[in-house]
Amino acid sequence: MTTKKAVSMNDSTATNDAPDWGALLARVAENDDKAAFRAIYQHFAPRIKAYAINQGFSQHAEVLVQEVMTSVWRNAGKYSESLASVSTWIFTITRNQRIDILRKLNRTRAEIVIETEELWQIPTEDTTICSIQNLSTEKFVKTAIDKLPEEQMIALRKVYYEGKTHEEVADELNIPLGTVKGRLRLSLQKLRVMFEDKEI
Amino acid sequence: MSGYHPDDMTLMNYAAGSCTIPESLAVAMHLCFCHDCRQHVKNLNHLGGALLETIKPASTDDDAFESLMASLEPHAQSEIAQVKMEPTPSEKITQHFTNPLLRYLPTSLADLPWQRQTKKISKYDLTSLINVKGFQVALQKINAGAKVPKHTHKGFEYTVILSGGFSDELGVYHEGDFIARDASHKHSPTALQNEDCICLTVLNAPLKFTGWYRVLNPFMAWH
Repeated sequence: MTTKKAVSMNDSTATNDAPDWGALLARVAENDDKAAFRAIYQHFAPRIKAYAINQGFSQHAEVLVQEVMTSVWRNAGKYSESLASVSTWIFTITRNQRIDILRKLNRTRAEIVIETEELWQIPTEDTTICSIQNLSTEKFVKTAIDKLPEEQMIALRKVYYEGKTHEEVADELNIPLGTVKGRLRLSLQKLRVMFEDKEI
Repeated sequence: MSGYHPDDMTLMNYAAGSCTIPESLAVAMHLCFCHDCRQHVKNLNHLGGALLETIKPASTDDDAFESLMASLEPHAQSEIAQVKMEPTPSEKITQHFTNPLLRYLPTSLADLPWQRQTKKISKYDLTSLINVKGFQVALQKINAGAKVPKHTHKGFEYTVILSGGFSDELGVYHEGDFIARDASHKHSPTALQNEDCICLTVLNAPLKFTGWYRVLNPFMAWH
């Protein structure tokens, strides 16, 4: 089964015209390659900033971008293709840095004892079987979200990406709270079914 | 493999990073035990990555890249510091997920300075360690076969069983299980007969004892 998947994966990477982000990260880690890092920055920084703004960061949005990109630079050598695509990896770093910044802003006196990284762990294990599975899951997720009805996707994006409560989504879309909850539940159910079918 | 899991909404909130620290601790502890949920969170992380790709980009400051570059160190120097950050093998409950609590406890679960609540129930309070307003977080130890007085919850309660098991009116739970309860549930958990039950409980409002035990309410800050 692995052979078949590996072949189809190679085919699609060959025809894929997006840059090989993994290779660029390796160049950053190995050679401190500024051009490679600039390419990563130019693609991801504006996306991280948009995420920060959606999450209500306004004047701290650029701070989040700088924190994340610093972490990307420092940890470039830890990135492993077998675990996630670069966009998923950068998403998890962004999420954790966002939580970190919020924790620091909210903190009045006491120290932060348990590190954010402990609670939201970015996996570091590395096995070849995982590798094939993860990369195909990645592509699969992109096609899966295209299959969701738009109204469900809008609700999901607002909750997942903009950190909105169900009540806020209901207000924004001017629909009953029950409808929001229903759409979210349905979209998550559909995604789970699609994920699980894929894993067999 | 555990039988009771966080629901999809909870896992999504966790992956999105929009649940509170105490809630995420409960989810993370469950992930230590549950391969299926680890897998699902991984998929939900992929969803986050896909959303990041499809987001409408915002414009960044023109000089931001150059000023960032100026602040970065070459890799040869920073790598030495990174080695120390890796958890040692003994800190890992599985090779996939580090137990987030372990390094913050003074000693192993068995040797903790448990605080006795009744003859057969004790707790180790983590509320001040977690320190998030409105949440009570604790490890609970119920001796084998012992019963917790019937109570309801004002808010919600997450329980993750770290060892042993218990049963209540709604089911039987074992190591790794994640149990969510809210104000509509009234229950009296009983530890299974063969071993002590240790669990993590995360509560966003005080417990309320019902029946005769309600006299305990003012005195027994149970968590």
